[in-house]
Amino acid sequence: MSRIIVITSGKGGVGKSTVTANLGTAIAQRGHQVALVDADFGLRNLDLLLGLENRVVYTAIEAIAGECRLEQALVKDKRQPGLVLLPAAQNRSKETVNPAQMRQLVSQLSQNYEYILIDCPAGIEMGFRNAIAPAQEAIVVTTPEVAAVRDADRAVGLLEANNIRIVNLVINRIKPEMVQMNDMMSVEDVLEILAVPLLGIIPDDERVIVASNRGEPLVLDEKLSLPAIAFNNIARRLEGDKVPFLDLMAAHNNLLNRIRRFFRS
Amino acid sequence: MTSESVEQTSGEQPDAPEKPENSLLTDPDVQMRLARLDGQLQVILPKVKKRSAQDDWLEMWQQLTHRLNSGERFWKPGELIHVLAQDQLLDSRQLQEIAEALKSADLNIERVYASRRQTAVTAAAAGYSVEQQSPNIAPIFPTVNEDENCESPLYLKSTQRSGIEVRHPGTVIVLGDVNPGSKIVAAKDVLVFGRLRGIAHAGANGDRVCIIAALQMEATQLRIADTLARVPEHPSGQYEPEIAHIAPQGIQIAQANYFFKFHCFDAEANAWVTTNPKSLTNY
Repeated sequence: MSRIIVITSGKGGVGKSTVTANLGTAIAQRGHQVALVDADFGLRNLDLLLGLENRVVYTAIEAIAGECRLEQALVKDKRQPGLVLLPAAQNRSKETVNPAQMRQLVSQLSQNYEYILIDCPAGIEMGFRNAIAPAQEAIVVTTPEVAAVRDADRAVGLLEANNIRIVNLVINRIKPEMVQMNDMMSVEDVLEILAVPLLGIIPDDERVIVASNRGEPLVLDEKLSLPAIAFNNIARRLEGDKVPFLDLMAAHNNLLNRIRRFFRS
Repeated sequence: MTSESVEQTSGEQPDAPEKPENSLLTDPDVQMRLARLDGQLQVILPKVKKRSAQDDWLEMWQQLTHRLNSGERFWKPGELIHVLAQDQLLDSRQLQEIAEALKSADLNIERVYASRRQTAVTAAAAGYSVEQQSPNIAPIFPTVNEDENCESPLYLKSTQRSGIEVRHPGTVIVLGDVNPGSKIVAAKDVLVFGRLRGIAHAGANGDRVCIIAALQMEATQLRIADTLARVPEHPSGQYEPEIAHIAPQGIQIAQANYFFKFHCFDAEANAWVTTNPKSLTNY
């Protein structure tokens, strides 16, 4: 039985595609068969993050229309043998696909792959409904900002309305030094509003941007960076391992910061 | 107990208090309702508004799943339910989605009432017993029942998340948080056993006796009848159960545990007044 997980957020630009690419790679590294589905029709970019742009021949639209077989549309990852990407069309709009077609597409994939990660577009319109239609569980990505959390809350409500009961949270781009100075929402603040189980915390890191631009997911680096470790931990938690959360605060709770905080309060 | 802690001034009234759009904010025809009339469980769809059909359908479907999932289960498993489609135009897929949503809450459609011929035909094709009502004649079932039906409180046993808007022609009781971005509109009181951080509107049909109670009052905005106020920011971050009510000066917030002991509704002032201010200081 494969697990079909949609990665969504409500708000755009919080890191859905980055999380999908890295998480998919991390799960594949652990020896699973993984299919990534880019559901962002019209604005695809998952292929860029994986560095697979020049290998895209067919897209999901052609597979749905029957212009090619589904296997032909799947792009094999150049580094991970267990990972494939089903790219979205760049030239169509989100209205060209309907939820029933998405369900059918994913059920075909589920025969051959253990994990299917669906990268949901931003917003809560047609694209969102297409992306969540086949899913059994969801990962909601948010950043510690009021607007992102508000939209994530709306997304969680819509997931619940659509009978997706397993909803987990990934908090992306947290800056421990800012949280330490009370300039940023903390993990606890976010959890208090959203009230869904926490799957992972990913620290803000410039290397994430560099990796995205190069098309090399961070988790493939030989010397793992902190965000890469966070992605690996999320992959392990998805499989049911109990992995303690990274203590991002520890490094910033030094004497200097404590003194600063003392004077600010 | 000091007198000061009892009456907390709320946010100042805006210069021109924004009047709620009309007196029928909780018009029962505006939102999907689940109700029991003469022993028969019914789901009553809202009347068609002048909006795009697509939006309307989605909104209606979300309301239905929200009520089924978080509302109080006042029905027996496997109970038969009547669908009052009113003047909604439903296609077979939409009817099936309604049936599926009801099925997941252990309810089976027995009969469909529709005033649109096409909806009636669709329902008949789907195998339901159908009753077509002429749109010109008053509906067989009273959709506005002023005495019993409207007063039954609505229990919501879940977090009310951003984007949820609940309208109810009676009291609304939320067992859970009301998150920012959500809105509760009730013809009577709003009681929140959790944190109230969205918008609450009590007495939406103009009843100034109505109150808003919350274990933790951090509402974005409080509205009672036709008045409106912002909640002051609690600098201390210390919260206790509070009740918002209309005082002669406008909306005020008072500590909940002594509220009914020392306040009563004065018909002449058309507001809540403190009965014995002295007793507050002596307490």
